[in-house]
Amino acid sequence: MPVDEAIPSVRPAPAGRTDGTPPRQRVPRARAASRGGRRAERLAPFVLLAPALLILALLRFWPLLLGVNFSFTGDGDRNGLMVGLDNYRELFGDPLFRGALRNVGLLVLLLPVAVAIPGLLATFIYLRVPGHRLFRSVYFFPAVLSPVIVGAIFNLLLAFDGPLNALLGGVGIGPVDWLGDPDVAMFVVVGVHVWATFGMALVVFLAGFATLDASLLDAARVDGASLPQTIRHVIVPSLSRTIQFVFVTTMIGMLTSMFGLLYVMTSGGPEGSTYLPEYYIWIQQGQMNRPALASAASTVLFLIMLVVGLLQISLLRRAVREA
Amino acid sequence: MSQARWGRWLLAVPMAVLALATVYPLVFTANVAMKTRRDYILDRFSLADALHWENIATAWNSVGMARYLANSVVVVTVSVFLLLLFGSMAGFALSQLRFRGSSVLFLCCLAALFVPFQVIMVPLARIMGDAGLVDTYPGLVLAYVAQFLPFTIFLMTSYYRTIPPEIIDAARIDGNDVYGVYRRIMLPLGTPALLSVGILNALFCWNDVLISLLLMPSADHRTLMVGVTSLRGQYSDDIPTFASGVLIAAVPVLVIYLFLQRQIADGVAAGATKG
Repeated sequence: MPVDEAIPSVRPAPAGRTDGTPPRQRVPRARAASRGGRRAERLAPFVLLAPALLILALLRFWPLLLGVNFSFTGDGDRNGLMVGLDNYRELFGDPLFRGALRNVGLLVLLLPVAVAIPGLLATFIYLRVPGHRLFRSVYFFPAVLSPVIVGAIFNLLLAFDGPLNALLGGVGIGPVDWLGDPDVAMFVVVGVHVWATFGMALVVFLAGFATLDASLLDAARVDGASLPQTIRHVIVPSLSRTIQFVFVTTMIGMLTSMFGLLYVMTSGGPEGSTYLPEYYIWIQQGQMNRPALASAASTVLFLIMLVVGLLQISLLRRAVREA
Repeated sequence: MSQARWGRWLLAVPMAVLALATVYPLVFTANVAMKTRRDYILDRFSLADALHWENIATAWNSVGMARYLANSVVVVTVSVFLLLLFGSMAGFALSQLRFRGSSVLFLCCLAALFVPFQVIMVPLARIMGDAGLVDTYPGLVLAYVAQFLPFTIFLMTSYYRTIPPEIIDAARIDGNDVYGVYRRIMLPLGTPALLSVGILNALFCWNDVLISLLLMPSADHRTLMVGVTSLRGQYSDDIPTFASGVLIAAVPVLVIYLFLQRQIADGVAAGATKG
């Protein structure tokens, strides 16, 4: 069934209550309630929230603090001892971690492409290109597959003696060692990640388009605007919030959900060229038994994500204002 | 006008090519899974001459896929149930009840949304280890619940805010206490959102590999996705069996996608538009 006629099952919250404050008091205190009953009523919100808050506090916020603390302690013989910034010094001296940071830079550079592809496709679907319903459901489907499965499929396709090279060989190109060439492998993995996730961003864009004022588009059409002009002067400014959101979530996705692909497709190789911070953390924790060093890398990753998020938001704000 | 229509058809061409590129890798894998080894080596692209289901059987039997599948089903089912239970309870409290600190608590849940697993995984592994929960089902379930709860609370809160207060007033006048309102009003009315969020959470948990790899190290506790990663080493020279294993792991999700596509897309869109 096409996603097209979807009635959003989660409707927008009414205006004025988006700040997390509950609605005005309106429940008349149960007249017959005893004093004990009233106390139970007062406690009820906390009882309802207790499991969630307990889990979040214990398994998300506490580890976050613990991790920052770990990163200043030693591994192995110096387990538990405070070692100051030693882990961070080691981290930034490690060519693998520096490579991981370089790859983060590469991701930032590729980010506009990863956002533009679903953005353009969503525009075309919104403009009702023939077959848009079919396209929409086809494009979304890799997004539901696990990175592990996607990685395994592309391992098959991209093997040195695999089908893609056989195809290219047929027209006299290659063979290219897609996953074995340090200059190529990272681009290939990012490409596969984009292949697997652009459907998510596409759906988000389409949700944004649903809020777009159609009369603006009509006006542009009446004025004889070309498609690129319409995109630049009507669609981009009206969808600035959506675009901003997709930028941030795509970057977060690149920083935190490529582990499965890296694990299956390259294991960080060849020559450590496809390391990302998350993969480095995993290797240090899971393989090298260096939890403190891994914690330092975690802290760096967290800072990177904060900076990336804040930077992008402010850059985009400015870009939109100037447009 | 006709020029515009031509333009649309021109756009449809690259889009169709891209659609093919989206589907082809999976079709290729399915085709390879049905071929004999010899056929694959001779020609990678030709259609399978017959459906060689024996590859599927080999993959299924030899690496303990059945065991992995059962592990995944158990862990995902329990995790999603707890996520929906805790998420709807919290969402109800945060959206419809008035109490001191409610907006602070909502912000806490939002903040948790921005703590990625990679950042907390090392200390989390230690906490789980200290509690004796590493390599146990409850440990993995707890980790999944903690991972996806912020998102669940967020969506349930947004959804419950759309329920008119009058409905709750009426239920209160009928003599329900808060818990009665939750059970008799909020749970049934929340069904569409619970379904959407539940499917998304099921996908997230089912597709996870990092958390499972970290917290379920022993071979017979592997979830299906971790199991798939071990296929490669085993069948590096038997590509059809490898492809069969991948296909087995992909089929449940593909079936779910075919039937519940709308809910999945809605959930993603809802998550975005609330941000």
